[in-house]
Amino acid sequence: MFELNWGLPVIGYLFLAGAGAGALTVSSSVLLRGGGGGFGGDHFRVAKYGALAAPVMMAVGTSLIIFELGSFKAALDHGNFWWMFKWINLFLTINLSPMSIGSWALMVAILASAAYAYTFIPKDAHSDDHRKDLRRKLAWAGVPLGIAVGIYTGVMLGAMPSRPLWNSPVLAALFLVSAISTGVATIMLLKAIFEGSHNGDTQANQSNYLLSASDLLLIGLELVAVFLFMMFAKLTIGAPAEALKILFPGGQMANLFWIGFIVVGLLLPVVIEMKYVLPTLLNHRPYAIPMGMEILAASLVLIGGFVLRYVIVVAGQITHPIGL
Amino acid sequence: MTEHAKNLSRRNAIKAVGASVATAAVVAVATDKSQAKSDRKVHYAMVIDTRRCTGCHACTVACKAEFDVPLAANRSWVEYVEKGNYPNVSRNFLPRLCNQCSKPQCVDVCPTGATYKRSEDGIVVVDADICIGCKYCVQACPYDMRFINPRTGTAEKCDFCIHRVKQGLVPSCVNTCQGRARIFGDMLDPESEVSKLIANFPVTVLRQEMGTEPNVYYIDADHTGEQDGERMGQYVRVDNFRPDKERR
Repeated sequence: MFELNWGLPVIGYLFLAGAGAGALTVSSSVLLRGGGGGFGGDHFRVAKYGALAAPVMMAVGTSLIIFELGSFKAALDHGNFWWMFKWINLFLTINLSPMSIGSWALMVAILASAAYAYTFIPKDAHSDDHRKDLRRKLAWAGVPLGIAVGIYTGVMLGAMPSRPLWNSPVLAALFLVSAISTGVATIMLLKAIFEGSHNGDTQANQSNYLLSASDLLLIGLELVAVFLFMMFAKLTIGAPAEALKILFPGGQMANLFWIGFIVVGLLLPVVIEMKYVLPTLLNHRPYAIPMGMEILAASLVLIGGFVLRYVIVVAGQITHPIGL
Repeated sequence: MTEHAKNLSRRNAIKAVGASVATAAVVAVATDKSQAKSDRKVHYAMVIDTRRCTGCHACTVACKAEFDVPLAANRSWVEYVEKGNYPNVSRNFLPRLCNQCSKPQCVDVCPTGATYKRSEDGIVVVDADICIGCKYCVQACPYDMRFINPRTGTAEKCDFCIHRVKQGLVPSCVNTCQGRARIFGDMLDPESEVSKLIANFPVTVLRQEMGTEPNVYYIDADHTGEQDGERMGQYVRVDNFRPDKERR
């Protein structure tokens, strides 16, 4: 029987914190790109949805992992109040453990993104209001912090030779690209739900085009990252190749991986987004996407992001090194 | 008292004990010796002579009793490696415990510094007051030696019975081993039994390729795993007698 030391709370955390960190990076970069040329003003609402989603997602995800801590479980089982807060020990020290650096990065990212979200909270917030200086400064912090949170989870899993499936430098890249891609999808989804598709509004369509087109590019990069991840494991032979069998036909996680992640999470959204992005990209037609399609594509990307975390986290724990 | 006055009074005290230079020299030498003894580093290691192991599980039981290890968890256990097609068959025993690695991966990944390698004797320990039970070390150990104790919510593992070793005793599993298959000692002492065995016999460690530099050495260990059976064209079964746990 296999033992899952890291279960659903960790998977949910990896997904939510990844998407939140991605939303923070995307929102901050979109805002900053407009620093000189009015780009930020045009896409201010894109930045706004990302900024508001990021701290909530990262905070909810972080609360999830506390439930996976042995000290928290023991606190509930034995009614020990102080053990509930034993995770404070993470912040009494810092060392070279990816989890230690990641916890600090995560804490700083949550605080900075909460402050960043605060600058968007007034109803009449716009790109030239009295909070714009603070907003810009926090956006400069938001880009690297989002990347740090998005990448550290991959480094954390990848740091262990005892887990051959995870023990790949490509995993960090895969998680980072997936984090940014799900971040874009989060913004797309929120924007579609709260604003509709604005078929007549050129500006809103420009923003939607920016989101869909960048999502398309990110999914392309994600396909490259998945390919490299699997190819290097396969060609490393030994334990990584043996562990990788779990993702290939006949393996325990093959169906979920190929159908849930590759087809539903990557290829389907690519097809949907291509249908609407390509005419604009190639023939310069005005961009227009039905709200339903936008919601569908964004949801599929988010499902794919969750399935990827699920498959990697579970498959990594039920495979093990060969030999003794 | 000022520093100057302190020095004066210390000087007076020494004078009072005995002014002779010889006495002072003897005292100085004696202090040096006791100092050297307490500072002398040791490097604990274990040699497991599998030829002497009968698979009786006495070490497993002694360990469970010594630490009140919770149900379904083990700090030390014995694996049976059965292989071969009749009539060429064998069963070998492989006692397992924490390797107290010189490059412990569990220490590298611990985010709180709760687990560390003691510089004075090389034992890898967990400080339960600091450990938060994040299970990163449980994932990182290539030997599956760690578990979360449900009573404390912290990571636990074999610590070479540090409480016994401090008193000059051998670990409980070594003490109980009826075949004397487990031998414990200091690798820095060339006269210790472990040093001699490591020098005189071909020894192996588990999963050397992980680069953890284990300090538990095996004589005549069978490293066969179940995945080797197909390639060798032989029946292979590994039983680790651990409920809910695969050999990893």
